[in-house]
Amino acid sequence: MSGPGIAWYLALSAFLFATGMLGVLLRRSPLIVLLSLELMLNGANLALISFARHAGNLDGQVFALAVMAVAAAEVVVGLGLIVAMARKKLTLDVDKLSILRG
Amino acid sequence: MIAGGWITLFSPLVGAAVITLAGTRIGRRTAGYIATASTMIAFVAAVVAFVAALGKSPDARSQLSTAYTWIQAGSYQSGFSILIDQLSLLMMLIVTGVGSLIIAYSLGYMEGEDEERRYFAYMALFVFSMLLLVEGGNLILLLAGWGMVGLSSYLLIGFYHRRASAVAAAKKAFVMNAVGDATMAIAFFLLIKYTGSLSFSALGQVPAGNRWVVNIVALGLLGGAVAKSAQLPLHTWLPDAMEGPTPVSALIHAATMVTAGVYLIVRCNVAFQAAPHVENLAAVLGTVTLLMAGLIALVQVDIKRVIAYSTMSQIGYMFLGAGVGAYADAIFHLMMHAFFKACLFLAAGLLIHALGGEQDIRKMGGLRKLMPFTYLAFLAGGLALAGIPPFSGFFSKDPIIASALARGGWFGYLLWAAGLAGALLTGIYTFRLIFRVFLGEPSAFVREHLHTEHGEGPISMRWTVGVLAVLATVAGFLQFPPFWEPVSKWLEPVAPPLVVPTNAQEIGTLLIGVTMGATGILIAWLIYGSHRFRAPAASEVLEEKFFFDDLYDAAFYRPAVWLAAMLRRAFEEPVVQGSIVEVATGTRDAARWTARLQTGLVRTYVFAIAASLAVLLVVFVAVR
Repeated sequence: MSGPGIAWYLALSAFLFATGMLGVLLRRSPLIVLLSLELMLNGANLALISFARHAGNLDGQVFALAVMAVAAAEVVVGLGLIVAMARKKLTLDVDKLSILRG
Repeated sequence: MIAGGWITLFSPLVGAAVITLAGTRIGRRTAGYIATASTMIAFVAAVVAFVAALGKSPDARSQLSTAYTWIQAGSYQSGFSILIDQLSLLMMLIVTGVGSLIIAYSLGYMEGEDEERRYFAYMALFVFSMLLLVEGGNLILLLAGWGMVGLSSYLLIGFYHRRASAVAAAKKAFVMNAVGDATMAIAFFLLIKYTGSLSFSALGQVPAGNRWVVNIVALGLLGGAVAKSAQLPLHTWLPDAMEGPTPVSALIHAATMVTAGVYLIVRCNVAFQAAPHVENLAAVLGTVTLLMAGLIALVQVDIKRVIAYSTMSQIGYMFLGAGVGAYADAIFHLMMHAFFKACLFLAAGLLIHALGGEQDIRKMGGLRKLMPFTYLAFLAGGLALAGIPPFSGFFSKDPIIASALARGGWFGYLLWAAGLAGALLTGIYTFRLIFRVFLGEPSAFVREHLHTEHGEGPISMRWTVGVLAVLATVAGFLQFPPFWEPVSKWLEPVAPPLVVPTNAQEIGTLLIGVTMGATGILIAWLIYGSHRFRAPAASEVLEEKFFFDDLYDAAFYRPAVWLAAMLRRAFEEPVVQGSIVEVATGTRDAARWTARLQTGLVRTYVFAIAASLAVLLVVFVAVR
């Protein structure tokens, strides 16, 4: 079996993760934040699968499946929250949601 | 004999406990009867023990009975034990005999008072405490009784607890006595350290090489005796203790409390003989007190205070006797004093009762015809106090003065002269009281306020005063040195006298003493009876009681108040209160600063997490 070495996969995974994190940190729209979150999860998934290929067993792939299931559930909750916010006619801006300030 | 001792000890305690536990389920009079009965039972038991001891040989009369081991600590051990011997038997008889008469008298005197039950429970407790003191078979039990006497006196002096002056007097008595308790405790600690025991025999077992230990032990005991017996310089509580009900004054002055100091010196005579300087100090303190109290008594206007100062003076005689080593004479005077002083106090109580609580002798006068019985009783007590034959004081006071003469040396002569001068003062102040109160025409106050429609007082008050008046008149014949001296012989195994006056000294002192007393009465008559001479203006020094109260006020009270105020200003307010304020503001500020971290923006939280992770990552990589 040939192809790119594991370092390339990991680099792509890190790039995806960093992109997602920047999105979470910098964007204001909750929809985009949710999207970026998915990007981070998939970056992590890519790393898991790469390591599974590299190590030659299936543990990492099983774990990636579990992450996908969790991500799906998370999207349901997240989108539900966003819909609820829209229904209440709240501005869809995460910086406005600051009632937890001490 | 031993069984009698135990019954005597615990009967009053049972009485006090029953009254306390029964509470309102028994009537007020019943409480009085229980207290009287319990002390009477104690008296009967003491008489039985005394008679049993009479039948024994002198060596078998001293018996120690231990109920159980009370305190055990390391090698130290003390039993709960009573010592029945010649001295404690005499004291038991005095305490229970006079004490039960006084409690019986209270039945009438306290009639209609509030809280009678509490009063009678305290009285019975007082008698129990004193019995524990005189019967205690070792020094630690003696100290327990000593402390309980202080407690009971505190409770009774402050009996009228709604009156601020009574509460202050009670506190004063307690604090003054605590000073003495502390010096005694020091003496006992030293005894435990150097002999490992607190039995009475330990007093003589301090290694003779330790001069200072012997002296401090004796000094500590003397401190306790001086405080309890109201001798110079711890005497100021006694006149104030007159704030209590009159029978309480009688109990404190005659049967219990103030006699404890004399008992202690006689009981611990071994310790005092080992420290002759301290023994001399006891004699000097007694002498100074008897003169000073006699002088102050000349100008007091409260009938009870005059009698109180006369008590101080008479206890001064006992200290003088015990100090020069005439132990039996001191105890005999203690006994006679118990009779005539109780008689005087209770007769004064009759007066006060009939006059609706008035104690100022300037308002009294001419009571002789209105209250003849009280007059006779008071006269008997007064003649006994002044030492006029054949009343009891005559037989007991002069042997003490003669013993001072027998001690010899300039010191002995000085004490002798002072004792005789005291006899003169006694005559003057006693009969100043009698002439002012009883002779002349009834004063306006008396005419207005005297109410004797039911006789001079309830029957319970009259018969007790009668008994005491008879005792004050005839009891002195028990001992008439140098002719017959059964009391001295009886006490000889416990406290052998150090000095024995010759017959010439005895009789000479007797004659001079009587002359002195009679001269005093004559002077009192010329001034207060026939008004031939005007009374000299009372000196301020005497009216202010030699400034002892002011001295203590300036030396102890005010510095303590100043120190407290200074500590409050310099420490309490800035450091203690300040630190609490600082801690509070500091916490509030810290909370305010921490709260700023909570922006409420999820993004900052996430950033914090991510940044920390990045830092950790770098750290881990770098460390590897």
